[in-house]
Amino acid sequence: MGRTLPSITQAFLAEQESLSRFRRALRREDQLALDDLLAAARHHLAAAAYASHLLPFETLLLAMLVEEHKHVLDLQRRLEALAADTRGEDPSGPS
Amino acid sequence: MSTLYAWLFDAYPSEAGMTTWWIDADGRAQALTDDLTPAFYVQGPHADLHALCLWLRARAPVPVSLQRTERTDLFLDRPIEVLAVGVPRPAAFQRLFRQTADAFPSLTYYDADIPLPQRYVLTRGIFPLAYCAVEHQDGRVIEIQPLDSPWEPEYRLPPLRVMALRLDGELRDPSRGHRGDLLIEVDGRQHAFPRRHGRQLVLGVRHLLEQHDPDLLVTAFGDSFLLPRLLEPSQHYGVPLPLNRDPHQAVAHKAAHSYFSYGRIVFRNEQHLLFGRWHIDRQNAFLADDYGLEGSLEIARLTGMPVQTVARVSTGTGISAMQVATAWRRGVLVPWQKRHPESLKTVGDLLVADKGGLVYTPIVGLHQHVAELDFSAMYPSIMVRFNLSPETVGRSCCEGTPIPEIGTPVCTHRQGLVPETLAPLLEKRFRYKALIRELSDDDPRKEVYRRRYSAHKWLLVTCFGYLGYKNARFGRIEAHEAVTAYGREVLLRAKELVEGRGFRVLHVYVDGLWIEKPGAHLRPDYDALLDEIRRATGLHIGLEGVYRWVAFLPSRVEPRISVANRYFGAFEDGSVKVRGIEARRHDTPRFIRETQLGMLDILAEGRDVAGFRRTVPDAIRYVRRRLQALRTGQVPLQDLVVTHRLARAPQEFVVRTAAARVAQQLSQAGVQLSPGESLRFVYVPGPEKARAWELVEDHPPYDAQAYTELLLRAVESLLLPVGVDRRMLDLWVLGNAGYWGPPGALPPPGADGHAPLLAAAARVSMLRPALRTILTPAPPPADATRPQRDAPWGRLQTPRLALPTPDEIRYAAREA
Repeated sequence: MGRTLPSITQAFLAEQESLSRFRRALRREDQLALDDLLAAARHHLAAAAYASHLLPFETLLLAMLVEEHKHVLDLQRRLEALAADTRGEDPSGPS
Repeated sequence: MSTLYAWLFDAYPSEAGMTTWWIDADGRAQALTDDLTPAFYVQGPHADLHALCLWLRARAPVPVSLQRTERTDLFLDRPIEVLAVGVPRPAAFQRLFRQTADAFPSLTYYDADIPLPQRYVLTRGIFPLAYCAVEHQDGRVIEIQPLDSPWEPEYRLPPLRVMALRLDGELRDPSRGHRGDLLIEVDGRQHAFPRRHGRQLVLGVRHLLEQHDPDLLVTAFGDSFLLPRLLEPSQHYGVPLPLNRDPHQAVAHKAAHSYFSYGRIVFRNEQHLLFGRWHIDRQNAFLADDYGLEGSLEIARLTGMPVQTVARVSTGTGISAMQVATAWRRGVLVPWQKRHPESLKTVGDLLVADKGGLVYTPIVGLHQHVAELDFSAMYPSIMVRFNLSPETVGRSCCEGTPIPEIGTPVCTHRQGLVPETLAPLLEKRFRYKALIRELSDDDPRKEVYRRRYSAHKWLLVTCFGYLGYKNARFGRIEAHEAVTAYGREVLLRAKELVEGRGFRVLHVYVDGLWIEKPGAHLRPDYDALLDEIRRATGLHIGLEGVYRWVAFLPSRVEPRISVANRYFGAFEDGSVKVRGIEARRHDTPRFIRETQLGMLDILAEGRDVAGFRRTVPDAIRYVRRRLQALRTGQVPLQDLVVTHRLARAPQEFVVRTAAARVAQQLSQAGVQLSPGESLRFVYVPGPEKARAWELVEDHPPYDAQAYTELLLRAVESLLLPVGVDRRMLDLWVLGNAGYWGPPGALPPPGADGHAPLLAAAARVSMLRPALRTILTPAPPPADATRPQRDAPWGRLQTPRLALPTPDEIRYAAREA
């Protein structure tokens, strides 16, 4: 179907393309971390499309942050459960 | 004058007017002639219209009637003055219009390209296969009284005599090589005709046609091969072949062509159409496998298109014909070569409006007790519910309702043309749905209803695309955008309601939601939710089913990303649903498809995620049996045929893929291939690699290694969600071994499948506490001055059981 504006996926791929020189200069391990972030942004393309911002990259950055924060929350939860477990408490308890 | 009670079977223009064929309850066919004066309308400056009138009187090859009249323009919503040009000889209509349009290209024309058969049924107020009382005299129709309605779900059809024609042997395209004897099946008996004896062949077929006088010829490759190869010797030997029931007509022929649609090349083969008899080529039918003859007849009744046309065109044409019929009944002009450019928008407006449906990326992995909620016929229902039509969106005739996100008002004071067309269709569809649910499985009507229901589905699917297609008569991009905007609004509203009731949303895909909540395992757990969504959106939402388990798969190219439409799952009743995996792909050989589905049936016995994991060893045993059959050469060759759609002409191939090799083989064998045609081939060992299926003679060996690879890929797709990768799969299936027990035994969740020792240790429960102690961070030190140091491995903290450090000993001594 002909579309006048690039779809959000096309916009995302363009942003990814524009980062290619940045990515090239990163260390291998940093490249992998960057790829994770981009994959995280891609996971929220539907929401980014619905938002219809003129500059989609801002929304994509926020999408990366959302995934990162989810990760932090998950780690935090697991840490608390583990700590409770070692103290001999029920892990599914008050936390 | 006498009255005939019969079904309308066929109608087409002839020298005497319109020839109509009728079949009565005893199966007798009868031809009657009727009058028809098709008219087209012209609009333009008075001087030009006057010139046109003079030109038509002087130059028209047939007499025409000219009349100044008023008809309604859909977009202006008021009558305009037009010139009606009536042609009393329908057979001359098309040619006359062409000449007129060529001579006066600047005028605006309406109603010019409505096909004559459709015009005829509209004028008479009937439809194809309508049961009617026909008054006639001397072979001419006097009056027709319809005793039937296209909106009635339950209807009778005429008894049809069917003659089936095909070539002996497996189904292979005869124009590419393989050719057997001609087999004709009629009245429960089969007749075989050797192909070599042309004259006897024609005489034999003629005899059968005369003896049985069939209503319907069903063929395999009749359009592209059988009919032309029968007509050829018939002409050569001067033996007329009565393929048509009407002796005055020749068989109609339409040439083959390729075109570009929705990002791919489509090939339409040539067509041979009959008069007074139908010819349906199963191999050339568009999507007809799904709904069969019952579905095609239903579409003909609803759209007014002839059955032979319905069996060969895409259903988009069907919905377009229905809209034309609505316009005709309303007295609205049907534009020819519509010129309706997109209205001006700001970038901001475009940014908001130019979007598609809401498609999430699902949460990858295996989930249990997931419910799938689907809005039934969502886009058509939205058009009806919110009155979205090209002429209602953005009209300032009344206050209107603003479209979500976009804000453009939609007229509410009058039903739009598209909603008016769709509303009765949706209504009928819902009635069939209810009937299908009520009837028991052994009721023969159930299958008939199911086929008509799928025919409706195909009609409805295309109505949305046609709304946005600028060349469609009643298409307008703004209406298309309004539909997607409402679609997003409705889905997000549903999502909010779902989350409000404590469910988690796993996936959203255009008109469906996949949701889960611990404890909600059964259909009744969703009743209240569905009611709430129905009330809030005004649309019908149903529960497609509750999955025992469902797996959303990552992309094959980028495993970190999930794709919207690649999943498989098992419902509560054990039935499976798959999308986007090998079993659904058209290029997958039957053996691979059946293996994947067989494996799914085994996995479907697992009632939840844990159950799925337990069935994996059984599934692997099954795969090993299938693989053994494959590798010992026991699989029949026709189960290994790979299908490939040709995306370019054979000489344009750059890389020597299997498809390129096969295309080349066929070209060398003298076969003309067009882009969009399907190639069928098998993998063979040796440098040849692949051979065209039509060129396969006797039983050559197949390339077991190539098919093993395809098989393992299909198996991998199903086991990916439980962490089985290709290495583990090779070990199980090819090596008949496993790290964690017999092949198929999965490592416990979270353990590395390739590190058996560490995991073996974890399995020994007595070691668990010690391991846990080592892996647990130390509690915060009582004294902040306590020295910190890096753990020897990674970011783990100092093990608590380790010996005190010298610092600690000193510290303890000082404290003491």
